[in-house]
Amino acid sequence: MTTAAAPPARTHIPPQSDARGGSRARERNWILALVVLLVAEILYFSATVTGFFGGGTGMLALTEQFVDIGMLALGLSVVILAGEIDLSAGTMSSFSGILMAVLWRDGIEIWLAVVIALVASTLVGALNGLIITIFRVDSLLVTLAMQFILGSVATALSGGSPPYGFPSSFVTIAGTGSVGPIPYQLVVFGVFAFAIALLVGRTRTGRSIALIGFNRPAARWSGIRVDRTIVGAFMISAFMAGVGGILVSGFYNAARDDLGDSLLLPAITIVVLGGVDIFGGKGRIAGVIVATFVLGFLTEGMLVDGQSSLSATMVTGMLLIVSLALKITVDRRGGFDVRAALRQRVQRSARTEGAQ
Amino acid sequence: MNVALEVDRTRATRRTVRHALGRAIRLREVQLLVAIGVVVAASTAAQPAFIQPGNISFMLADASATAILSIGQTVVVLARGIDLSVAPILGIAAVLVAFPAQDLNMPIIAGLGIVLAVGLVLGAANGLLVSVARIPPIIATLATLSVYGGLQFILAKGEEISNIPNAYGNLGNNDIVSGIPWVLLITAVLAIVVAFLLRSTNVGRSIYAVGNDAAAAHRSGIPVQRIIFLTYVISGVLAGIGGFIYLCHVGSVDSTTGSDSNVNLLSIAATLIGGTALTGGRGGVFGSVLGAVFLSVALTAMVFARIPSIWEPAGVGVLMLLAMLSDRRAGAPVRRARRRTAGSA
Repeated sequence: MTTAAAPPARTHIPPQSDARGGSRARERNWILALVVLLVAEILYFSATVTGFFGGGTGMLALTEQFVDIGMLALGLSVVILAGEIDLSAGTMSSFSGILMAVLWRDGIEIWLAVVIALVASTLVGALNGLIITIFRVDSLLVTLAMQFILGSVATALSGGSPPYGFPSSFVTIAGTGSVGPIPYQLVVFGVFAFAIALLVGRTRTGRSIALIGFNRPAARWSGIRVDRTIVGAFMISAFMAGVGGILVSGFYNAARDDLGDSLLLPAITIVVLGGVDIFGGKGRIAGVIVATFVLGFLTEGMLVDGQSSLSATMVTGMLLIVSLALKITVDRRGGFDVRAALRQRVQRSARTEGAQ
Repeated sequence: MNVALEVDRTRATRRTVRHALGRAIRLREVQLLVAIGVVVAASTAAQPAFIQPGNISFMLADASATAILSIGQTVVVLARGIDLSVAPILGIAAVLVAFPAQDLNMPIIAGLGIVLAVGLVLGAANGLLVSVARIPPIIATLATLSVYGGLQFILAKGEEISNIPNAYGNLGNNDIVSGIPWVLLITAVLAIVVAFLLRSTNVGRSIYAVGNDAAAAHRSGIPVQRIIFLTYVISGVLAGIGGFIYLCHVGSVDSTTGSDSNVNLLSIAATLIGGTALTGGRGGVFGSVLGAVFLSVALTAMVFARIPSIWEPAGVGVLMLLAMLSDRRAGAPVRRARRRTAGSA
């Protein structure tokens, strides 16, 4: 009786505790907001910073500076979707770049060296995943330890003089070459971004990864091989970090043992900015792809404008804070739906008045 | 009858003793002391110079900055947080003391005041992000890591400040008695103060309670978010003091001090090796201090064993993994609660 008498408006309001209500739409809105931000940013820099736009091609060439970070971010987002984290991704890039370069110096054909380096990275990623799943220890700690270890290995491999001056066929594709106005690196990024987006959004594995991140017991009860999938996620992350390392080495035409150190923070920033829930289970790769360009153009715009790289890093950090604070507030309010928020507010005040 | 009772009693006593002994062996602090002893003994056997007072003093002083940071880190981790921004807090504190110390010959006590203020402000900023803005600790402090890092760069003006008055260097490098540096005394005092805070005050017990189960803590009337805020302030202040000790000990500071020597990760490693669980609510500061000493001793032993210093980070990593595997509960996955933390309603 009483339920029938309740005002119909009340049924439209999602319960306060249900954070999942309309999360699909909220993800879409978030990505839309990112796109708007990206366009605004490009317009702003094109108007104020000379040499940023460069007739369009200049801007495209700028992407070479940050698609490697995007690579790491793509891999990381898979791990983060599964509710884990991979702090070893940065030094994984150093490791893969150095391994490739050293193998090449020792007389192995460069593309074979690339393959070996990527396989090695993936295996280290598998090791990460195996330690985490077999011994049931926190991924934060395991990958932190792995970060230390890989850093040492990379330095040891590189020795006193890290290799440089790769064959031009390699530098063209992995480094500074371009097809028409589009840099090869951007093409490579596009291919991998598409592949990861398909994997996460359209395959069984991708849905399993998200479910594992969202509710692990539920994933286990529904027959998903949780441990195996998590190991796979870490392998993907390591592989992508490896590709990122190869791209950086190609871009600078030199391998350095510390080249990956500065990639991790911006990569995590991209993942979070892209709308992937840091606790796992929620997020879309499209957001991560857009966020790569948002953060990349922001950083490069500042650098072209003559700011120091550290102030760019500072802005990265602030962006991370602001975007998350915004997102968390929005999530708590129950989405971007202003009308629903208003209605809720009115209802609440009505309720408190009624109580008096 | 009487005899039987007597036998029973001795048996019981023996059992109690054995039980207490077993518990002591399982205690992380004891395990660490044994491990430190083993490393020292092995290294001394290989190279007698290892046990010289000069080297011992060096190892202990070297461990101090890490130890002080890990005390703060422990407090944060006990409440199920993590602070990745201690390195630049250390750096900023050191830079802000170094300039006036160099240019104005500022007295030490004023320097201490500066680092306390710096730690307070930066730690409070972290605390606000986590407890008010509700940003997950890993992300919040990762972000402030870069913000503070940039700030440190700006404040240091890209210079290396190395003309520090002698008074600072004396504090940082002199021994009380041969082999026991002054900075170790400071570390010990800080550890005792924080241990007292954790064990014997309401606030301390609340920190454990929040780390164990924030929802239960909230229901039993603990101001959960305020406690979390406080842990980051404590960590910030200790990181500031760590910066002061670092400056006194090393004698110079530049725009990347702290971040370049991995003190962030060292502080977490020491905390973890010291037996504090990432899941919160379990552990203590003495373990972390011993963890820092153990790291320092083990890394010095590596140098004595002629292992190139580039393997030092790998050594830390392997020790971390071993510590995790030896005590699985310490490294158990944090159940990152999807349900909103208590007190958010």
